[in-house]
This record gives sequence, C-alpha cells and structure tokens, in this order.
Amino acid sequence: MNMKRILVVLAVLLSFTVSTQAQRYITKSGNITFFSDGPLEKIEAVNNKVNAALDSQSGMFVFKVLMKSFVFEKALMQEHFNENYVESDKYPVATFKGKVTNISDVNFNKPGDYQAKVTGQLTIHGQTHPVKTTGTFTVYDKGVKGKSQFTIKLIDYNIEIPSIVSGKIAKEILITVNIDLKPLKQ
Amino acid sequence: MIKKIILAILILGILGALYGWFFVYNKPHTNFEKSKPDFEVTATGLYNDYVSGKGNRYNGKVLKLTGTVKKTDDGDTLVTLVFVFNEGMFGDEGIRCTLLPKYNPQIRKLTLPATITLKGFCAGYNGTDVVLEQCSLLK
Repeated sequence: MNMKRILVVLAVLLSFTVSTQAQRYITKSGNITFFSDGPLEKIEAVNNKVNAALDSQSGMFVFKVLMKSFVFEKALMQEHFNENYVESDKYPVATFKGKVTNISDVNFNKPGDYQAKVTGQLTIHGQTHPVKTTGTFTVYDKGVKGKSQFTIKLIDYNIEIPSIVSGKIAKEILITVNIDLKPLKQ
Repeated sequence: MIKKIILAILILGILGALYGWFFVYNKPHTNFEKSKPDFEVTATGLYNDYVSGKGNRYNGKVLKLTGTVKKTDDGDTLVTLVFVFNEGMFGDEGIRCTLLPKYNPQIRKLTLPATITLKGFCAGYNGTDVVLEQCSLLK
C-alpha cells in the first residue's frame, strides 16, 4: 500500500517536471528579414539576433528585436534606417507580444509540420499596432522551427519617408520570420 | 575659352558624381576592429548600467569590455560569448557578444570560465541581454 502511494506520488511529480520542462521554447538567434520592393530600389535587411519565446501550453509568443542589429547591404541605408526612419537611438527595441491561437493543434511530441495562427501587438518606433498572421511550426528532434511572412504599413508605425526618396521606398514592408526554438532547460 | 570652362565644369561634375557614388552611396560599413573604443567598461558595470536604466549612452557605440565569460553559444557561422548575470523568461540573461568569424577558432579553444577583453559595437539592451556585435578579441 505504502509503496503504491509512493509510486503514484513519484509518477505525478515526474509527469509534472516533464511537462514544465517542455513548456517554454526559446531562441536568441532568430532571423528576421525585411524587404521593401520599391519601384527604383529593392531594400533588404537582416537581423539574426532576435529573441523569441513560445509557451507550448498557453501559446504565448513573444519577440524582442534590437533595431541596431539589422544589417543592410549598403552602410548608407543602414545609417538612414537607424537615424531617420526608425530612430533607433530613441526606440532601440521592437517587440511583438501575442499568442498562437490554435496552440492545441501543435503536438510538441510528434515531429511534423503544423499550421499556426498568430495574433498580437507589434511595437515599432514607439507605435503599437495589431498584427494577425499565419505560419508554420515544424516540430523536430531538437525543438521547434517556426516561419512566417506578413506585411506591415510604415504609416501604422509613424515611420515617415522624406518626400525626396518617397518614390524609392515601398509603403508596405514584407517581414519574414525564421526561428529555431529550443526547449528552455530549467 | 567657354568650351574649356564647360569642359572643366563637366569634369568636376563627373568627379563629384563618382565621389558621391563611391564614398557616400556605396561607402563601406564601419570596420569596428579598427575603431577606437568610445567607452571602456567591465561586463558587470555595463550590465548593471543597462538594468538600472543608465545604459542608453552605450547604444550604437564601440565598447572595450573586460569580464568573465561563462559560456559560449556555437552556431554555424556565429559564435557568441555569453556573460551570464541573471535568469529570466528567455533563460540566461547578461551580455551576448558575437565575434567576427576570424576569431571563432580562438574562442572555440577557450577553457571556460575565462577572463577576456574584447571590442565591439553595442546594439543595445533588448530587455534581457546587452548585445555586442562584430567583436574582436583583444586578450
């Protein structure tokens, strides 16, 4: 009898630690690119030091992006981006706080591709705006890979393009997200 | 005479355009390995300054940083030195320094924990980590 009780307690404790261990998936080297397909010039920038965290139970999904970590092909564009457009000295971090609304559809124990619906609030340049997108989670032996694409409007984030170059820069920017999340060891 | 003046103006114009093309529009990215540091800091000092809200002066500056590295994150091309000070929702929190790829072999040979000095570009604090990029190992 006593032995049985101990076993039950042990089993409950064990299942608890397993489930809490696998609850949060993180990365600090996520990849975000943005792409502006202007009539005169295509502009692309890459940031491969993005923080992301996903809670596999609640679906909570958070990103933190340092604006100064975006790398452009041309140094001049990088300078303009930081100084004139996103004012990265004043607004150094962009954040996304949201949720995977169909997180229960993702089986974190079964490798494969899962469609994800994501909604949340994106803050860039001190302005917050709702974002709704879809993406794919790929569960594999080491963790979960996630990818998604969506567009944002510069005007929503109060990013003004000087009229002299306004013809060159697209008003909508394509954002591509690629992350490789690993379980957080606690 | 007028022809000569027009020619001179044309040549000046072309030179100006070339200068603009090469040194303004296509100017190279800053080589932080050769930059003089704006600040010399310790890892602890830098982290504490950011956590207490006094770190913004380091944003976008070149820092010379000394401290004890506790772990490295080894990606395919980027090796990150991590100075750990805290634990949070993103795991370890502290200072994360990515190195110029030429330093990767040296870093991979380090026995941790190790006290090192490096120089790099400070991209800022994202709420969990201070991020230094394109770092070069000084010692």
